[in-house]
Amino acid sequence: MDVLIQIILNSVIAGSIYALAAMGFNLIYGVSRSFNLAHGVFASVAVYAVFFLAVQHAILLPIAIALGIFVAVFLGYVLERSIFRPLRAKRASNLVLLIASLGASIVVEALIAIFFSSQFQTLSSVVPSFGAVRIFGGVLTGVQVVMIVSAPLVLALFWLMLSHTRFGKAVRAVSDDEEVAKIVGINTNAIIGVVFMIGAGVMGVAGILTGFDTGLDPRMGFLLLLGAAIASIIGGTGNVYGAFLGAFILGFAENFGVFFVSGEWKYAIAFSVLILFLLFRPQGILGKK
Amino acid sequence: MNKTWLAIGAIVVLGLIVWGVSSMGGKSADTSTGPIKVGVIVPLTGDAAVYGEPGRNITQLAVDEINAAGGINGREMELIVEDGKCNGQDAASATQKLVNVDKVQVIIGAFCSGESLAAVPVAASGKVAMISPGSSSPKLTDVSPYFVRNYPSDATQGSVLANIAYTDKGYKKIAFIQEQTDYAAGVYTAFSNVFSGLGGTVTNEAFPTETSDFRSIISKVKGQNPDAVFIDTQTPAVTGRILAQMEQLGWKPKLFVSDILPGDTKTVEAHKAILEGTLAAEVGVDPSNPKFAALLVAYKAKYGVELPFQSYAQTEYDSVYLVRDAILAVGNDGTKVAAWLHTVKDWQGAAGSVTIGTNGDPVAGHRPEVIMAGKPVPYVK
Repeated sequence: MDVLIQIILNSVIAGSIYALAAMGFNLIYGVSRSFNLAHGVFASVAVYAVFFLAVQHAILLPIAIALGIFVAVFLGYVLERSIFRPLRAKRASNLVLLIASLGASIVVEALIAIFFSSQFQTLSSVVPSFGAVRIFGGVLTGVQVVMIVSAPLVLALFWLMLSHTRFGKAVRAVSDDEEVAKIVGINTNAIIGVVFMIGAGVMGVAGILTGFDTGLDPRMGFLLLLGAAIASIIGGTGNVYGAFLGAFILGFAENFGVFFVSGEWKYAIAFSVLILFLLFRPQGILGKK
Repeated sequence: MNKTWLAIGAIVVLGLIVWGVSSMGGKSADTSTGPIKVGVIVPLTGDAAVYGEPGRNITQLAVDEINAAGGINGREMELIVEDGKCNGQDAASATQKLVNVDKVQVIIGAFCSGESLAAVPVAASGKVAMISPGSSSPKLTDVSPYFVRNYPSDATQGSVLANIAYTDKGYKKIAFIQEQTDYAAGVYTAFSNVFSGLGGTVTNEAFPTETSDFRSIISKVKGQNPDAVFIDTQTPAVTGRILAQMEQLGWKPKLFVSDILPGDTKTVEAHKAILEGTLAAEVGVDPSNPKFAALLVAYKAKYGVELPFQSYAQTEYDSVYLVRDAILAVGNDGTKVAAWLHTVKDWQGAAGSVTIGTNGDPVAGHRPEVIMAGKPVPYVK
């Protein structure tokens, strides 16, 4: 019984991190209509910034975290301005955008490996130990509680933003049809730029939390991106709420897969779920046909 | 028109085949007078770089000593170090480069078992001798006449620990958490064969190398209630991740670890509470051996840190001297060096007396250890 509860908790932890990664990913997909494979690097740069500041230079953790998120947001802005906007202006195909984003991801990952080595590092020397929380015989650490709380919190913030602000209305308009949005006077480039920064910031949070939880290496961003992409497709590409749902389905599928089958099947299970959705419900759970 | 193209195509393909065959097989023994180039393959990036970097330093240290003492018959030894990244793909291309571009006759390495398994066929087809100071997979026993190792097979690591687990400790059920690499799989197979033969049961949870979330694997293993858990990873960093998550989940089972861990003082120290009483089997070192003691001093003097992973360090150091002695005896020729290395008997090095059997494995084994207060000490029943 204890085992089952722990597996459920583990699924929720994994689902929460995937949710944070996938919501930003889907928000960006919604407005830009292209898979941003560089989304993972926002997580890596944020957590490596925290590592650099807090572990290597003993800067206060809250300041390091704030700067880490800022670095991710800034990189989101830079990538949008220097790669995606020029390519959009040239009416580049989705394939070109996809490859360009993959290229950007590989470049940033390589730079991180050059500066910090590709060895696994931990933040354990600076993470405050909140102790562990026991729930029906299962265990959660403080960091994991923060993860589980922040996913629905970000979802609520996204909902508030999308349905109750002028900016959110504009985002939805751009998602529906960028051309029409432009015609009615929305500065679509500015909207897309801000959405990139928001998505990057949320991904930065996901990266920092993962770093606190398990540790960091340059490839972690790419693995988070894989989870985010799968969750988005399951939930419905471009739909922020679908991403949230898809993330938890993925988290449960992976962890129960480990429980019922074996750890070596984790990725096979994740991608099987993806293929099943692509075959039978390609628009995802909440996606429109 | 079509026929012309076909003919041109055929000529090009034929030309490529001839060129390929000649560049692979047509090497003659090295007769020049410049430095003798020797290849080295170690992992220099990734989690396994913790072994590869000291490995490179130690081989360089030995080469510097040899050159300072006049080299090999007046010729200097020169190392060409390649990064095998602890995987077969990169090790195979590193071997291609060493064999075909640098035209070495001998390669020291590879280090990881997965590297060596992929590199051996490439080296053998180029008639280049390989001596591995670290690859321990049982699959490498008698794998090729061009391959020997002075580090023992994990078959002994597995059997030593399986016997202690079953006979001394009375464990009946062991749960493995095993990384999906050739080395870790070798340890699992060796242990499992002996332990099941004695009458125990072994379960195995394998996981891909890039895994960082082990919580569900640990929870599942905990639910199976094993007498002890064997953490069998390729690198100490991964064992560290698993230990940290066991600590988070508040579980402290009886533990076994593979021989990659005890030499990593940082990880052992960081997790000494959960590791107290953990069993492992290492090749072990003999500080009273003057050659080993000299290596300790020389490494500290040259690189400013204590010699890490000493079990590997001694074999890495010896491998360079074995290569020197081989080239002194039979010349810089891959085939002859490989044959000579298969006949090494009672050779004295930092690892003590080295004898290599006809199957290419050293006649030596792993000694059991137990981790006490963050330090590995010899195991006594």
